[in-house]
Amino acid sequence: MRFAGVMLAVAAKDLRCELRGKELLPALTQFVVLSLVIAGFAFDLDASSGPRLSPGILWLVLVFAGLLAFGRTFAAERDVGSLEAMLLTPAGAPAIFAGKALGATVLLVACEAVLLPAMAVFLASPISPAVVATVLLATVGMAWLGCLFAALAAQTRARELLLPVLALPLWIPFVVVGSRAVQVAMSGGGFGAWAPAGQPYAVLLDFDILFLVVSSLAARFVLDD
Amino acid sequence: MIAVRARGLVQRFGDRVVLGPLDLELAAGERLAVLGDNGAGKTTLLRLLATAARPAAGRLELLGVEATRERERLRARLGYVGHQLGLYPALTALENLEFFARLHGLGRERARPALETVGLGGVAHRRLEQLSRGQQQRLALARSVLHDPELLVLDEPDASLDAEGRDLLGALFEGRSVVMATHDLALARGLCHRALRLRAGREAGDPWGAPRAGGPSVRPREGAGPVPLPNGRAAGARALG
Repeated sequence: MRFAGVMLAVAAKDLRCELRGKELLPALTQFVVLSLVIAGFAFDLDASSGPRLSPGILWLVLVFAGLLAFGRTFAAERDVGSLEAMLLTPAGAPAIFAGKALGATVLLVACEAVLLPAMAVFLASPISPAVVATVLLATVGMAWLGCLFAALAAQTRARELLLPVLALPLWIPFVVVGSRAVQVAMSGGGFGAWAPAGQPYAVLLDFDILFLVVSSLAARFVLDD
Repeated sequence: MIAVRARGLVQRFGDRVVLGPLDLELAAGERLAVLGDNGAGKTTLLRLLATAARPAAGRLELLGVEATRERERLRARLGYVGHQLGLYPALTALENLEFFARLHGLGRERARPALETVGLGGVAHRRLEQLSRGQQQRLALARSVLHDPELLVLDEPDASLDAEGRDLLGALFEGRSVVMATHDLALARGLCHRALRLRAGREAGDPWGAPRAGGPSVRPREGAGPVPLPNGRAAGARALG
């Protein structure tokens, strides 16, 4: 109960700061739209090639938007010493980390709320509930893992360089499974069209649980030296 | 009860020893001023006492609890203000305190009285970034006593404070053990019972008495007490309105 209270307080604080400061969300939205415009020109997309290439473009944009978002999650806190101030309360590093990760997840979901409709407009991508569900499932695991590495990277001077190096290799499973799932969904397959051997939803859910538990356990060692 | 007991406390940055070995003992309710030039090791010592860092060697007991093992339990009984204030510029003064009250497992209603205590009741709904540096320092001090800690660890708490703000320190210290780093000898004399001077991470004698001549380190001194501040008031003697 106390864990959940701290987690929600930290996430709410992060979102309130973001809504007032408007540091990340406008930049992320701009990044997403510009990326899609560039992709449209670079791949010379038309009505037939757009939907075929959409899954790849979606995951590329999502991965880099995630790196931008998570990079600031802990760096901003370290800059003003507020991370230490939080850690010096009895709240506990895992609950504080969970709150930060929850806040980052909400931020990335807000970014996706722009990305997916923008893909439908710019790339004529068929956005179905199955696509949305896949992206949301992948977002949770990517956000928690990304936040863990962001916390680690924030302790170094080269944090902007370190975060992609650490996070990208472990995001690959989400991209592999997620892009396959989105491909199936965009080609007309709905919730019931998964091949029994693939079951991308279940796999993404497993990844989420695994990385959520692992990152929460590791948070204590990463945050509280 | 002993508030602080350190034996052979050492801190290293890489291979370089920046503090210690240092022995220190502070009785409950006692106030210690840590003095020294820049780079003497004051902040390093205070960070160890605040459980913000782990010592490289030695034993540290705070409020009767092993500091390196039971940090979370201990943190409910400690208050700390460091060089960085650790507050959120986008939040109001009141929201900052309410947030930290929740992290301490306290109700939000604790925030308002703490704000009044440091004289910031009138700017409760102003964002931190709209407050002066001195007001921000007061807010950080309010956060450090929000949970009524037994031990206060303060790194230059007088930084940016006006005369009235400095008077507040005495009231905040009332009934608590305090370790405070400062460059202001007069303020230290006014607020603290004892002083420890550090030089290159080692104890360099009692700045209010004779230089240390070997033997054990800082111990409680009988009969020692705060002397009146230069403005004529005894620190801590004034209750907050």
